[in-house]
Amino acid sequence: MPKVGITTTVPVEIIYAAGWVPVDLNNVFITDKNPQALVEEAELAGYPRNLCAWIKGIYSTVLNNTDIRTIIAVTQGDCSNTHALMETLQLAGLEVVPFAYPYDRDPDMLRLQMEKMMSRFGVSWDQVNEQKERLDFVRSKVWEIDRLTWQENLVGGWDNHIYQVSCSDFNGEPEKFADEASVFLQKARSQPPRQGELRLGYIGVPPIVGELYGYLEERGARVVYNETQRQFTMPFATLDIVEQYQLYTYPYGIFFRLEEIRREADRRRLDGIIHYAQSFCFRQIEDLIIRQKLDLPVLTLEGDKPTRLDARTRLRLDVFLDMLR
Amino acid sequence: MFIGLDLGSRSVKLALLEDDLLVRLDKFDTMRFYREHGKREDGRLVIDAGGLALSGEKPTITATGYGRQAVNVKGARIIPEIKAHVLGAAYLTGLSDFTLLDLGGQDSKVALVRQGRMIDFLTNDKCAASTGRYLENMAAALNISLEELSRHRRDPAELTSTCAVFGESELIGFVVDGYSTASLAAGVNYSIFKRIKPMLVKLSSEIIVFTGGVAHNGALVKIIREELGMQVIVPEHPQYAGAVGCCVDAAASRSSKK
Repeated sequence: MPKVGITTTVPVEIIYAAGWVPVDLNNVFITDKNPQALVEEAELAGYPRNLCAWIKGIYSTVLNNTDIRTIIAVTQGDCSNTHALMETLQLAGLEVVPFAYPYDRDPDMLRLQMEKMMSRFGVSWDQVNEQKERLDFVRSKVWEIDRLTWQENLVGGWDNHIYQVSCSDFNGEPEKFADEASVFLQKARSQPPRQGELRLGYIGVPPIVGELYGYLEERGARVVYNETQRQFTMPFATLDIVEQYQLYTYPYGIFFRLEEIRREADRRRLDGIIHYAQSFCFRQIEDLIIRQKLDLPVLTLEGDKPTRLDARTRLRLDVFLDMLR
Repeated sequence: MFIGLDLGSRSVKLALLEDDLLVRLDKFDTMRFYREHGKREDGRLVIDAGGLALSGEKPTITATGYGRQAVNVKGARIIPEIKAHVLGAAYLTGLSDFTLLDLGGQDSKVALVRQGRMIDFLTNDKCAASTGRYLENMAAALNISLEELSRHRRDPAELTSTCAVFGESELIGFVVDGYSTASLAAGVNYSIFKRIKPMLVKLSSEIIVFTGGVAHNGALVKIIREELGMQVIVPEHPQYAGAVGCCVDAAASRSSKK
C-alpha cells in the first residue's frame, strides 16, 4: 500500500478510505535513533539554525524515507514554516497535496477542503464515513486511556502522551494499534491508583523532549491532561465528520482552544499548567494570551532540540512544582 | 547552626546562621571551590561542606544553585534556587510583598512575592546577556573596572546586539566612532535594563528587591528607579541572598518539625 506523509493531523479517514497508509512524519523523526542528526542534516542542506527543529527533522526524515513520495501539506492551521518545507520537498521531486483548516472554522470551507483531498485520493463520502466508524472504535480505546489518566489515576503522563499522539496516523495499522491499547488498558487497570501527586496540564505542541513526563513524576507531579495530543484523538461526540474536524481545536484560533483548555482544567482539577512552546515557533507569541486568560499558574517552557532535558528547564520545573505546593 | 551553600556559575557563596543571626558570609571562585573541596564519587562531584564550617555543633547544610543537580553536597538538603533567593531576600529586607530581581553570574531571575510566598517567576534561559558575566566582558572590552562601569547612566550609546559576546565587537565599533567611555558604559548598563524590563513589567510590584552580584551596579539601580518609577531596595550583601535563603529554609523546616 502506498504511503503518504503528513506533517500534522489531517482527516486521516480520507487516506485510509483510499487504501493508503498515513505516516506522521513527526513521529518518525522523533523516534529515530538519532533525531538530532536529522536536524543537522537539514542545516547542512541550508536550513537556518534559528528555525524550529521539528521542521528540519521532518525535512530530513522525508528525504531518508524514499518510500514516501506524496506529502499532505497543512498550509493553514498548523505551522507557517510548512510552506517553505513543502517547497523544498517539491524541489526534491515529491508530490505535495495542500490542505487548509479555515481560520474561522467555517464548515463550508472545511468541507470543500476535505472534498478536494477526497478527489485527489479518489474516494467518496460513504467510504470516508465508513472509515470514521472504523477509526472511532480505535480512538475509543485511547479515550479510555485518557479517562484512566485523569479520573482513575491509573496512567502516567508519558503513556497518555504516546497513545494519544499516535492517533494522528494510528501507526499506519489501526487494528494492531487498538490491540496494543487494549493490552495496555488491561495492565493499567490492574495497578493501584496513584495518590498525592500534583496534577498538571500540558498545553501546546507535543514536547521535543520526552523526558519531561518522567522527570515530573519523579518529583511527585503528573501530567493528567495533554491538550494537543488529546485533540489528535478527536474526542468529540459527533457522527458528522466535517463537524469532527471543526471541533478539533488545534488548527484554529487560540480563543477557541482556550475554551477547551479551561473546561478540561476544571474537570481534571489541575493545580497548574505547563505551556510548551517550541523555539522559533509563531505559537510562542500566544503565550501572552494564555497567561492573561488562564487563572491557573502557568509555567512556559521552551524546547529547542531533541536532546536531554537541560539543567535550566529542570530548574524551572523544580521551582514551579515547589511553588504549586 | 545552619549553613547555606549557593552553588553559582561564577562563585559559590556560603552563609552561616546561628540563633537567627548571620555570623559568617564567604565567597569562593566556583572552579576553585570544586577543585579544592570536591572529589568524584560514582560519576558525581561530592563536596564535603562540613570541612568549611566553623568548629563546634554539627551544622545542617542546605544547598541550592545551578550546580545543585550535578553536584552532590554530602549530607546536604537541596532546595530550588529561586525559592532560596526569595527566602533570602525576604530575610535580608524584612519584606513580604515585592518583586525579586536577581542578576547573578549567568542567571537573570524575576519572582513575584506576595505574603512571603512566590506566586510567579521568569528566568533567562537562552542567553546570559543581562548578567554579571556580560558586565565583566563589557568592562574588559572597555578596559575599565566593574566599579567604573557601574557609575554611568547619562547619555547612553545605543547598543543593539542581542548577544553577550557579540556585544564586545559592537563596543569596539563605537570606540572607533569616537564615543566616550562614559557614554559606552551607560549604554552597557541600559542594555541590561532593556533586557530585564519585560520581566519586571510582567511581574511588577511597588518595591523591587534587587539581589545578586549585579545589584552592586549603582547606575543600573538608578536606571530601574527612573525608568519604571518603582522603589528599588538593594539589601546589604545582595550576592548572598541564595545562601542566606538556604539557612532560612532550614531554620523554618526545623521549627515546623518541633
